[in-house]
Amino acid sequence: MFDALSIYLRLGWRNLWLHPLRTGLTTAALAIGIAALTFLSAMNDGWMQQIKTNFALTVTGHIQIHARGFEQSRKLADRIDDPAPLLDIVRQVPEVRLITRRVRVSGLASSAGASGGALVYGVEPATEKRMSRLAGFVSQGGWLEPGDDRGVVLGDGLADSLEVGLGDKIVLMATTPQGDIASEVFRVRGLLHSGVMDVDDLTAVVTLDAAQRWLGLGKAVTDIVVRVKDFNAVASATQQIRQLLAARATGEPLETLSWIDIDPMAEQWAEFADAYTWIILAVVILVVLAEVLNTMLMSMHERVREFGLMGALGVQPTQVFVMVVWETVILVALGSGIGFLIGGGLSWWYGVKGIDLTRFAVAFSFMYMDPVVHPLLRTKSIVEILGAAVIGALVSGLYPAWKAARLQPAVALREL
Amino acid sequence: MALIEAAGLMKHYHSGESELAALAGIDLSVETGAFIVLAGRSGSGKTTLLNILGGLDQPDGGSLSVAGRDMLAMSNSERAAFRLKHLGFVFQAYNLIRVLTARENVAYVLQLQGMPKSRRFQVADQWLDEVDLAGYADRRPDQMSGGQQQRVAVARALATGPDLVLADEPTANLDSTTGEALINLMRHLNEEHGTTFLVASHDPMVIAAARTLIMLQDGRIESVTEQR
Repeated sequence: MFDALSIYLRLGWRNLWLHPLRTGLTTAALAIGIAALTFLSAMNDGWMQQIKTNFALTVTGHIQIHARGFEQSRKLADRIDDPAPLLDIVRQVPEVRLITRRVRVSGLASSAGASGGALVYGVEPATEKRMSRLAGFVSQGGWLEPGDDRGVVLGDGLADSLEVGLGDKIVLMATTPQGDIASEVFRVRGLLHSGVMDVDDLTAVVTLDAAQRWLGLGKAVTDIVVRVKDFNAVASATQQIRQLLAARATGEPLETLSWIDIDPMAEQWAEFADAYTWIILAVVILVVLAEVLNTMLMSMHERVREFGLMGALGVQPTQVFVMVVWETVILVALGSGIGFLIGGGLSWWYGVKGIDLTRFAVAFSFMYMDPVVHPLLRTKSIVEILGAAVIGALVSGLYPAWKAARLQPAVALREL
Repeated sequence: MALIEAAGLMKHYHSGESELAALAGIDLSVETGAFIVLAGRSGSGKTTLLNILGGLDQPDGGSLSVAGRDMLAMSNSERAAFRLKHLGFVFQAYNLIRVLTARENVAYVLQLQGMPKSRRFQVADQWLDEVDLAGYADRRPDQMSGGQQQRVAVARALATGPDLVLADEPTANLDSTTGEALINLMRHLNEEHGTTFLVASHDPMVIAAARTLIMLQDGRIESVTEQR
C-alpha cells in the first residue's frame, strides 16, 4: 500500500516542480491566502475570547440562578427567598468552582448636586472579589470590606455624573418588593473603571447585607452566581444544575441561565463569530479551488500524452485518478502548510504581544472588548481551516483527475 | 495456437459528414517469436492496427484474440491489466515519464505488476544493462538523447516479460545510425529472448530488418512477405 502511494507522491512532487514558477506562484498565492485567513480567524477567536471573558467575568459570571422571570422583569418580587439549600445543590456539580449571592436592583443614585440611574449590586465582598473583576477594576480607594454596610463602590462614570469622589455621601433609592420606595445613605469607598461603558456609568456596589436590610429582603437574593472551571464546562454545568434544581421537591420555580443566555448581545456576538468562521472556511475553499483548479487543469492538459502513455503501459484509470488527486493534495498541503506557518506564527507573535487598537477604544468598550487584541489560535479553528483546505484540494483535484482518468490511451497518445 | 488471431478488423473515423475507413477488414495471424514489420504509407492504417492489437483502441467490427484472450470482450480496466501483463509498447516519441529516471521508468511497470522494490530496481538495472545504458540509470529523459530514450523504452517494454512488444515508428525521430542500432537491438532481443515484436514503420531500414513484412494500403493488407 505504502509502496503504491510512494510512487504517486514521487510523481506528484516532481511533476509540480516541472514548472517551478507556476507551482511557486500557486503555492505563494495559496500560502498568502491561508496565512491571511488563519490570522483573521485567530483575530476573531481572540476577540471572542475577550468578549466572553470580559462579559462573563466583569460582572455576570458563568452561570446565574434566579427566581423564574427575574432576568426579564428585574423586579425584586421575583427573588429567591432562601438561597442556602440551592447553594448546597449547586455545589454537587463537579465543574463548579465558586458560588456567590447577589441582590441586583435598578434604582436612583443621588448626591448633593446631582442624581442618575444606577444598577445596584449587593454582593458578598470576599467571594465577589474572586467571582468578578469588579474589585480588580477599582482605580481609586478600595474594595468593600466584609461588614462595611455603609460603603459603596461606584463606577467612575456614575461618580462623575453625581459629582462625587472618595468619602462623599450618596443616597441610593429603589423599589422594595412591596412596592415602596426605600432609600439608604452610603459613603463612597472606591471608584472602579472597567472600560465598559455600561459598567462604569451605572454600577453601584454595596454589601449584600446592606442591600438586604435596605430593601427589606431578609435573607432573599436575586442572583446566585456560579463560576465553573472554564468556558468549555459552562454548557454541561448549566445542564446539570438545571436537572438538579428541577428535581427539588419544594421551593419557588427557578431559571438557570448561562452567561450567553443573559445578554442577547453576547449571544449575537457568538452567532456572528460562528458565521464569520463559516465565511472564512468558505473563502479558504474558494481560494484553494480557484488557485489549484487552474494549475491542475493546465498541468493535466500539458500531460495528456503522458497519461496516454501510462494508460498504454497498463496503469488503471483509478490509479491515474488517485495520482492526480495526490498531486493536488501535495500542492495544497505545501501552500497551506507554508501559509499556516506564516499565519500561525503571526497569530502567536501578536497573541503574546497584542495588537494595540486604543484609538478605537470607545467603540470597543460597547462590546466588552479590550483595545489591545490578542489573536488566539484555537485547535478547533486550525483543524477547520486545514480541513477546509484539504476539502478544497480534493474538490479541485476531482475534476482534473476525472478528466485524466477518462482519457483513452489511443486518443491521448495522438496529442502533441 | 497463434499469439494473435484477428479476423475482419474494421475501424472507421468520422469527420463531419465524411467517413474514413482506417481499417477495412484485416485478417492477421501472428505466431510467438515473430518479428513483423507493418509497413505502408502514412494513413495506410499501421498505427490504427497496432493500437487495436494492443487494446488501446476498439475496432468497429471483426474479432481479435491476443494470447488466447478475446480483446473485444474486455472492459477498459481489464484491457489495462492485460496490457500490463502481456504487452510492451515502444512509441515514436515521448515514450518515458519525464519526471522519472531511466531506472524508475523501467521499474515503474514492474511496480505496477507488484514486484518488491529491491527486486524491481535490480531487474530494471539488468535490462538497462541489456540495452547498453548501464551508466544512464539515474538520468531523466531530458538528460538523454532520443536514441537513449528509445532504448530505455525498449528495456521497459521487455522488463515485464511480455508476450508481445508493439512498436510504433520507433526510429522516426532518430538519426539513421541511432535508428539502426535500435532496430538491431530489437532484433537481438527477439532472437535472444524469443519475444514477439510487431513494429509499425515506413523506415526502409526497419523494413529491411523484418522477418515478416506486412504491407498495408488503405486499411487492407496488400502483401505479406517472409524476408529471411
